[in-house]
Amino acid sequence: MRRLNKPWPVPVRVGSDGRPRAVGSLAVSAVQEEWLVEDGWWTRRPLRRRYFELVLEDGSNVVVFTEPDSGRWFRQRT
Amino acid sequence: MPVACALAPRFRLLTAVGGETGEGRELLRRPSALAPEPGAAQLVGEVSDPAERLGVRAGMRLGEALSRCPELALVPPDPDGADRAWELALRGFESVGAEVESERAGEAFFEAEGLRGLWGGIAGVLDRARSAVGMPVVMGAAPGRFCAYAAARRADGAARAGDGRGPASPVVVPGAGARRFLSPLPVSLLSGRLASPGRWDRPAWSAATGGEDAGDDLPNELERLGIATLGRLAGLAAEAVADRFGAIGLRALRLARGEDDPLRPRRPHERLAVELELPDATSGQQLGHALELLVARLLSHPERRGRTLRSLRLSARLAAGGGWARHVALCSAAGEGERLLLALSPLLELLPGPASVLRLEAVSLGAAAGEQLSLAGPGQRRRKLIAEAVRQARAAGGSEAVLRVLEVDPESRVPERREVLMPFPEDQEAARPPRDREGRAR
Repeated sequence: MRRLNKPWPVPVRVGSDGRPRAVGSLAVSAVQEEWLVEDGWWTRRPLRRRYFELVLEDGSNVVVFTEPDSGRWFRQRT
Repeated sequence: MPVACALAPRFRLLTAVGGETGEGRELLRRPSALAPEPGAAQLVGEVSDPAERLGVRAGMRLGEALSRCPELALVPPDPDGADRAWELALRGFESVGAEVESERAGEAFFEAEGLRGLWGGIAGVLDRARSAVGMPVVMGAAPGRFCAYAAARRADGAARAGDGRGPASPVVVPGAGARRFLSPLPVSLLSGRLASPGRWDRPAWSAATGGEDAGDDLPNELERLGIATLGRLAGLAAEAVADRFGAIGLRALRLARGEDDPLRPRRPHERLAVELELPDATSGQQLGHALELLVARLLSHPERRGRTLRSLRLSARLAAGGGWARHVALCSAAGEGERLLLALSPLLELLPGPASVLRLEAVSLGAAAGEQLSLAGPGQRRRKLIAEAVRQARAAGGSEAVLRVLEVDPESRVPERREVLMPFPEDQEAARPPRDREGRAR
């Protein structure tokens, strides 16, 4: 059994407001949407993610999220 | 869970040169390497000791190998001969209770945990397995497949550095020590280890020519970037590796950190094969007649017991030396000679030269040909067709060739919790399309 849509790590450059400025070597042209997902806060392994739907400079549409606790960034198909 | 690895160093090269006697010994004493298989990537195979000392290594591009060592002798590979010889070793491992995974002739892996009680600890398991194969092998054990491979390579290296007499001592890596053990080793150890693990029923050459990114260039690229050891690679951030090398880079990173996928041992299966020695080097129409004869012999083989054939392997020993083999999966399991010939005859066009021996083997078998058909409605017929198509696809692409997306929590805000991939069930009832809450087919 394998999960679909598993996130994978990406390097993201962040601005002073905490929003992504570049994903890999591509600059962010626009932030389409931003949302927060919190789940399992009642467990030992709570999940907290800040998602961004972005348009990059090459026109591609990507979704990335950061985990505020670790500060790591991931890309994901949603 | 310790994984044991058994390596027969340079097994494919040794098989191709005909063993360590006569002409074979001469070839192994000078720089030599296995030539690329016809139709596969232009990479050299296993190399002799003198070639290795001159900087040639297995998996290197042919052009680079020849420019490093212009006197390199290229030996035509004999994949079929090596597979058959290695099959005897695999049966030896199975005779001591091991469930083996072996993607290429000359190396095998098995879980040693369950055998510890039987053979007296990990040392006893390795010792017993080594004595059961009937050929010189070096052994290693570690928490994962790649680390066990590295351990066996180290055992081989230690044996070469010693006097070479007697069996090499196995190297055992303790449970928590995988990353530390791998750390000083060169990234070139990743060569040929980065393709996703194959399946017992999927031949190695189909993976080699299947267009899958096997990461052949990654170790070279890492070296060019100054990342010479697995420890350096393991210390890199996953984000940076993913951005630069993609999925294959992340797999390399996991291996370097001592993480690995579980083994996929082969299922015990029958070997039903017939072969024909051809009096003269044969090609063209004569070869077609030989194939007809082989098909007839295979169909009348007593061990077939009326069953149909689902996938076959056609192999040949070439008159000029070396061997050749191709795998074919049939559209549906068949027991008629005409259909088998229709599928097999085009493969003869791919033979790189005249053959001296032609061999036909049934790799997987289907139901008996004289199956009584029942009166069935359109729904049942459809399910039967789907089940047959699933079996056919699995015969061609391995056990994970057909999967089904199963919605687990479709409303979840966490995307990876919504769906999972499950093996598509073969039995007719389970092959019914999944239904939603209202009972509608999805």
